[in-house]
Amino acid sequence: MKISQDTALGGLFAVIGGIALLMAVQYPFGSAGRMGPGFFPVIIATLLGLTGIAILVRARLAASEEITSARWLPLLIVPGAVALFGLLVEKLGLPLAVMLLTVGAATASVGFQLSWKATAGAAAFSAVCALVFVKLLGLPIPIAGSWLPALGV
Amino acid sequence: MDIFSGLMLGFATATTFSNFIYCFFGVLLGTAVGVLPGVGAIATISMLLPFTFGLPVDTALIMLAGIFYGTQYGGSTTAILMNLPGEASSVVTTLDGHEMAKQGRAGRALAAAAIGSFFAGTVGTLFIVIAAPLLASFALTFGPTEYFSLIVLGLVTSMVLTSGSLLTAFGMALFGMLLGMIGTDVNSGAARYTFGSPNLLDGLNFVVVATGIFGLGDVLANLETERTRSAGVAAVKGLFPSREDWKRMSGPIVRGTGLGVLLGVLPGAGLLLASFSSYALEKKLSRHPEEFGKGAIEGVAGPEAANNAAAQTSFIPMLTLGLPGTATMALMIGALIIQGVQPGPDILTQQPALFWGLVVSMWIGNLMLLILNLPLVGMWAKLISVPYRFLFPMICVFTTIGVYSINNSVFDVYMMALFGLLGYFFRKVGAEPAPLILALILGPMAEEYLRRTLMLSHGDASVFFTSPLSLGTLIVAAVLLLSIVSPRFRRVREEGLQEAD
Repeated sequence: MKISQDTALGGLFAVIGGIALLMAVQYPFGSAGRMGPGFFPVIIATLLGLTGIAILVRARLAASEEITSARWLPLLIVPGAVALFGLLVEKLGLPLAVMLLTVGAATASVGFQLSWKATAGAAAFSAVCALVFVKLLGLPIPIAGSWLPALGV
Repeated sequence: MDIFSGLMLGFATATTFSNFIYCFFGVLLGTAVGVLPGVGAIATISMLLPFTFGLPVDTALIMLAGIFYGTQYGGSTTAILMNLPGEASSVVTTLDGHEMAKQGRAGRALAAAAIGSFFAGTVGTLFIVIAAPLLASFALTFGPTEYFSLIVLGLVTSMVLTSGSLLTAFGMALFGMLLGMIGTDVNSGAARYTFGSPNLLDGLNFVVVATGIFGLGDVLANLETERTRSAGVAAVKGLFPSREDWKRMSGPIVRGTGLGVLLGVLPGAGLLLASFSSYALEKKLSRHPEEFGKGAIEGVAGPEAANNAAAQTSFIPMLTLGLPGTATMALMIGALIIQGVQPGPDILTQQPALFWGLVVSMWIGNLMLLILNLPLVGMWAKLISVPYRFLFPMICVFTTIGVYSINNSVFDVYMMALFGLLGYFFRKVGAEPAPLILALILGPMAEEYLRRTLMLSHGDASVFFTSPLSLGTLIVAAVLLLSIVSPRFRRVREEGLQEAD
């Protein structure tokens, strides 16, 4: 299925504007002289929805470029690796989490191959990160996370 | 406080040992990350943000500013040596700068850019010294009505000056405002758009959104075209401009500086506008316009000066009004708020050491960059040639640690991953994210000022047209919007911004 740029963006705006409007009408609207928490959201959400519809109309009238993507895999791998870091940083500590993120993200590259050199580089990079961010800059991130003692390390 | 004693205070603040050192680290790190291809100013600043967290406010701000203009310098190095603009405003530099590099004149192109930038930085700093206190005292008379109109002008300018259709840009700005509403309403205490999540009660952190859309979004977009990335870096030799070069570039530098200083104060996209108009102006004035695009040194020196002058003076609305003119300045405000500083007209009277120290450090930083950059250019060139498959995992690591360390919040990391995907989507559908980023920080301000205005006027919206300043601002905004409908301007905009893509 081919989707044009305008259809995708207009659709997103229309849907978000619509949902935001439905939620906004539940907040007290107030009056112009005493704007309630719903006043501004109603206006903005309505405008966003209308803009989305206008973009959809434009998509019908004049064909815009179609969305093409050569590679879908990085879209899963890279945000996934970032989320994994979030999941594990407090459990494993900074160096191990950085190592996982570095290697995990790297697999998204077309030129990725497992090699000793690259793995050693990633390990060195993780150690440097831990030194710089935790020891030097004093960020309160654990070096060894809460899981490590449980694993007997 | 008069200007002279202000400057003395500034020198005293900026030259303390630690401030001096952090200014140096700021420009060094800023340049090092700024030269990396595919890493724009916003991604650079947000990656380097955690380096400033543990510092006192004035030192942190000085270092942040150093990172900011270090990024600008680094970006032009990459533009010249690799034909890869880090951001829209250095697109112009690639036109003639990379041509010069191909002809073996890379060193002279780099020198022209550095000298032009330094001159512009000096003049820009002087301009801040004179204009900022004036504007700040003037701004004390502004009421919510004037602020609201200024915000409208800023948003309109950023919509008009982004590539793509106006309708798309309008939608992006509205979407940004909507994202800005997430969290507790300051006035009523009502939780809006939080979906019951306690993590969203404080709102979306601005830095998280910007880092996701620009930092991670760029990585995702670059990975898709990884195979087609060119990797040729031009060799650098002969750094010193000849007498002929000096003669040809001094005029463009002075004119570019003038343009940049004035356009930088404008809300919207002053940097981009400054470098494009300087290029157009030099091409028009030149006795040999046919050389432009084929390695004319005027086409490097002028726009680079304009770009840097605008980068300096874009601090003026940010510091004195608290209104960011560009997405990068919006990020600076985000960083200041994390540090507990609220920029605005009071900053000069309440924290004079902070303001003057920053201004003086900008000049010192520019001097450092000039001294640092030309001899070290060989090292930067090596950095540029690091393959992307090694770079992007590191970018992911730095952005993620940066975002996590703002609040030690894992939730922020997930949010960044989500906004990275959104940033990729925006690139795919041809929607530029700058208006969204600006609206995210201006939206909540707009709501608050609108509320106050209407409360004072008992719900009568005509006050926006009866206050002369507000009326004038809105007229400028309307003229800008109308100008886009005029076919002539439309063509110029499309041509100018097309090249920015």
